[in-house]
Amino acid sequence: MIQPIKYYPDNSINVNAGPIRSFKENYNNMLTDIIDTMKEHNLDALSAIQIGYTYQLMVIKENEEYCAYANPRIITQNKPFDSTEESIYFKNHAITVKRYEELSIVYDDKNGDMKTKKIDNKEEASTFQRKVDYLFNTTLLDRLNPNQREQAIKALAGKGIMPDKTDDYCPTFSKKEYFVSVTDKLLFFMFISLLLPLFNISKETLDGWYTYDKFAFLSVIILMISFFFYAQYEAKKYKQCTSCQIGNNIGVMLKRIISSIILTIGSYFILG
Amino acid sequence: MARVVIMGGGVSGHTAATFAKKWLGKKHEVVVVTPNSQWNWIPSNIWVGVGEMKKEEVVFPLAPVYKKAKIDYRQALALSIHPEGKADSDTPYITIQYTEEGRVGETEEITYDYLINATGPKLNFDATPGLGNGEGQMGSNTVSVCTADHAEHANHELKEIFEKAKEGKKQKILVGTGHGLCTCQGAAFEYIFNIEHEAKKAGVRDNIDIKWISNESFLGDFGMGGLHMKVGGYVVSSKLFAESLFAERDIPWLIGAHVSKVEEGKAHYELLDGTTGVEEFDFAMLIPPFSGVGLKAYNKNGEDITNTIFAANGFMKVDAKYDAGAYENWKASDWPRTYQNPNHKNIFAVGIAFAPPHLISKPASSVNGTPINPTPPRTGMPAGIIGKAVAHSVCDMIKQGDEAHLHEASMAEMGAACVASAGKGLTTGTAAAMTVYPVVPDFETYPGTGRDTDYTFGEVGLAGHWIKHILHHMFIYKAKLYPGWTLIPE
Repeated sequence: MIQPIKYYPDNSINVNAGPIRSFKENYNNMLTDIIDTMKEHNLDALSAIQIGYTYQLMVIKENEEYCAYANPRIITQNKPFDSTEESIYFKNHAITVKRYEELSIVYDDKNGDMKTKKIDNKEEASTFQRKVDYLFNTTLLDRLNPNQREQAIKALAGKGIMPDKTDDYCPTFSKKEYFVSVTDKLLFFMFISLLLPLFNISKETLDGWYTYDKFAFLSVIILMISFFFYAQYEAKKYKQCTSCQIGNNIGVMLKRIISSIILTIGSYFILG
Repeated sequence: MARVVIMGGGVSGHTAATFAKKWLGKKHEVVVVTPNSQWNWIPSNIWVGVGEMKKEEVVFPLAPVYKKAKIDYRQALALSIHPEGKADSDTPYITIQYTEEGRVGETEEITYDYLINATGPKLNFDATPGLGNGEGQMGSNTVSVCTADHAEHANHELKEIFEKAKEGKKQKILVGTGHGLCTCQGAAFEYIFNIEHEAKKAGVRDNIDIKWISNESFLGDFGMGGLHMKVGGYVVSSKLFAESLFAERDIPWLIGAHVSKVEEGKAHYELLDGTTGVEEFDFAMLIPPFSGVGLKAYNKNGEDITNTIFAANGFMKVDAKYDAGAYENWKASDWPRTYQNPNHKNIFAVGIAFAPPHLISKPASSVNGTPINPTPPRTGMPAGIIGKAVAHSVCDMIKQGDEAHLHEASMAEMGAACVASAGKGLTTGTAAAMTVYPVVPDFETYPGTGRDTDYTFGEVGLAGHWIKHILHHMFIYKAKLYPGWTLIPE
């Protein structure tokens, strides 16, 4: 039966597919659905997860034959190259990623027997790697570095394919960064103020900087406490934000508070 | 007065002993039999192995701790279990052989009312020719970080490699698993990244090639079939996460590998696809496979009943379903809940000492028929939780009778957290913090993935390193039974 294909930014594809454990009726039905969907959309390859089955099964069309690969694993990979690929998930928007030309793979056939295969041409190898990636919660975007990824997301948006704005995911830019940015600027000028006595600057001016340092110290404390509570709010708002980020947030907060204390002590002795 | 005997003083045994004594008080006796004089916080051994910690920082003497807790401590090796007693007595007992200075070789029988087997694993170096010395110990071709002494030795060898690299000599380091059926990929995973981190710090990275070799069928399997990681705000698989870590640090990998033989400077391997090869090295840390410690069991007549109490791999049988059959039939409910031996209700096994019903990762064999798959991890947090649950059960049985309700701690219903170091340093450290729920995938409750994706996640960064460092001090504090130790979770 033809199944609806998932398209970016549908993030239900972001899940580790489980291994195929049984090669009976359910497996055959799933395989039939994948092949029917491939025929309907004239596709050369499709992973089960792309039509909503969270299982490690993929089909590649080879010489007009639909070959099923269950539980595929890439054991060795050699000869890296830049591969410009299109995927139905991204509505055939081309993205360039690093792939390997030579692969040695193992997989289970339709009877559940393990088979091996060597692949040594770029097109077949890149298709295989892309489909395996889908089974391990990896899309083309995940193979890019952060800058390339941002550019690719913008390019997709330019074609009318917008990132999904759901509450499930942390935003790529968080408003809590504003707290950090302002704090860093305050700390920077606190540091600069400690160098001022090296120059021929009037006592009144130095007194003014000393007053700035005291206010900046208080501001840093308030900003960092506010940062922490806002970060906690975001962690609850975005379900996928992990508890480990609390550790990171505490780290961000402590680092700056300690810096401000050191700078304030320095200011007290140098400017005060 | 009842006597509870605990064989083994590692994470699970120490947890079981200390909680049992706390709950039972002076009215009952708790005896710990362990061949080691020191307790070792094993997760920090990797830092000893790169010289970032001294051995003394990861171990402490057990005797004063047990003296303070009023636990009867015997520094001895458990040799055999006699659950039916002997011809002239129905009282069950174990035989032990002292390893304590001044009593080495002396044997003794210790009777028990309840027995907890927490012996941990035997580091089965000899399963791979050349990995061991042929006498059950680590050989001279490779190093290990499985014990504090091994880690200290590994650091000494590593520093020599660094010195050679400083002299401009190209060096090759190989880290990973030394057999197709190893577990504990995590320790090797941490060690390789700490080596890379230290090599950079020492300014010798350019002269050192580092390579990973593992029995996992994909990077990031960790013996648990993989999991999710949260990296930079995005949810990625542990496969992509691990591949990225290796690629960013210029560390190539060999996976699906069974190390079949080790020689001086050479590791012979077979891959899942049936191909074979040789990897040369100047320094190699290869984790050995684990097996049971070789305990024997005898019935009242002195006949060997080891096979009825222990599985073929030497681990103790508990309330697991050992006849689940083919992979497709495996269920979460196959995993033990109470860790009680089915034949002897007063015997339990905790931590690595219990025999798992089957693998967690998908089973695999090479085309030549060689099994190559990670065996189930049962260390760390699950070991502590299981130890505590069993101590609770034993205490309830003592206080309420043998029909008391047993406490349950199934790994298929238990979450676990793990922090894997990728480099040590107050501001330059990195670690991956991961949680997984449940540890053993439950394909009936969570079709497809087997896990609850809302509770299975991770994050990598400096905060993770700090957490690992804090945990190091917290757990040693807890193990030393300092005030408030019971408040620190397992």
